Amino acid sequence: MKLAIQNLSHTYDIEVLKNVQLELDDYNAIGIIGVSGSGKSTLLRLMAGLEKPSSGDIFINEQSVHSSSHRDNIGFVFQHHNLFPHLTLERNISLILEKTRHKSKEVASATARKNLELLHLHDQMHKLPKHVSGGQAQRASIARALSVDPEVILLDEPTSSLDPILTHDVLSAIENLRGLGKNFIFVTHVMSFVRDFADYVIFMHEGEIVEHGSPTILDKPQSNELADFMSKVR
Amino acid sequence: MSDMDLSILFMKTKQANYLLASLVFIAFGWFVIAQQRTPLDLSILLPYRASFISGFYNTIIVSVIALIGSVVLGFILFILSTTKILFFRAFTDILTEIVYGTPLLVMIIVMAFVIGPAFNTFNRNVMGVTGLIVYIAPYMTNIFKSAFSSISDDQYMAMDLFGFSSYQRYRYLIIPQVIRGLMPPLMNNFSLIIKGSALLNVVSYRELFYRAEGITSETFAFVEVYLVMWGMYLLITIPLSQLTRYIERRWAI
Repeated sequence: MKLAIQNLSHTYDIEVLKNVQLELDDYNAIGIIGVSGSGKSTLLRLMAGLEKPSSGDIFINEQSVHSSSHRDNIGFVFQHHNLFPHLTLERNISLILEKTRHKSKEVASATARKNLELLHLHDQMHKLPKHVSGGQAQRASIARALSVDPEVILLDEPTSSLDPILTHDVLSAIENLRGLGKNFIFVTHVMSFVRDFADYVIFMHEGEIVEHGSPTILDKPQSNELADFMSKVR
Repeated sequence: MSDMDLSILFMKTKQANYLLASLVFIAFGWFVIAQQRTPLDLSILLPYRASFISGFYNTIIVSVIALIGSVVLGFILFILSTTKILFFRAFTDILTEIVYGTPLLVMIIVMAFVIGPAFNTFNRNVMGVTGLIVYIAPYMTNIFKSAFSSISDDQYMAMDLFGFSSYQRYRYLIIPQVIRGLMPPLMNNFSLIIKGSALLNVVSYRELFYRAEGITSETFAFVEVYLVMWGMYLLITIPLSQLTRYIERRWAI
């Protein structure tokens, strides 16, 4: 995928992103790392078009994230699964396909089942989110993101609310999706996942991209900030 | 099984305890009635059956109208209080503040005898009910506020992301979620309305309380009349609270 970030700044009460620039071509799994408050989740939300940046723009595959067609091309996985609590896992997906992608009931339901099976949830699909484990709910949320057949899937710390075993469970499910030909941009604190899965790494610190490159930068940091960050995480 | 075991078993079941508690209330009522110097004579009220029933009927009608009116007005106030336009928020805040400090009786009288005539509306029944609606509406607004607050910002974000239209959001995602939280307090407010409707007698609306007053003035049997009236209010409110509990159980998340 092509990713272009141009003069991107964003301010809530304080400036969270400071004139961020980046041009990338031909990477399929971009990992964004950094301490909490470094602006990485904000960057991901802006990439999804969920918020409008204070200034600047982002282009994914040469399309502005504010264009109306952008949302049809992305899938988004939230920190907490964020499934609709009153709908079963299957209905969480089929409702979207039926109402917003105008699929027939049968096609919507079949697509939902197919994607849930892909995430090993065939036994759980008729349960409500509160009746499955956090890891299962998060996998369902990944199935939901996949089911709209996006070009790019954005994941915002998909395992931050899970214990280590469920984290492993969700992350290996994501790794298994590599063969689907989708692109991924993800924020995570799990460095082993970055090493295994990412083909490009962006390190953010205080609203700026301090270092970026192949995952080898994790082992040979050039900047003090990344060296410091790597010394504190495992 | 010994007697001791049986009594423990009896005290453990929920229904048995409710039955026991009900019996205490009945025994209390029985005792109070038996202690009266002049024995109660309900037969004196038999000729006034039709009057009681029509009052009962009117109470239900006016309560349903007030329920619908206050839900609609309460929802409008809720929408206004969530807009970004500060004037609307200020408007609903001030209205709420005024209503919270106003006794219902005052609200009904002011509506029917002061505000209505100022707008050339002399139909006191209509203005009285309007007073009841305005009085309950802020309580309805509160119900909407707490029910809607159960939907997280992230959920709205997901709705945005997947491209649901406004109608689809309400129809498939928001209303099915809030209705569960909405029903029990809504029913509680309905009880409030039913009891509040008794005050509509001051605008001569022929509801249950108004009828009861009329019957009292003819028979002077005010104790009997009030007891029957009391029973009739309970006849509406007790099934209603049972229905509320049923809905709570049925729709509990």
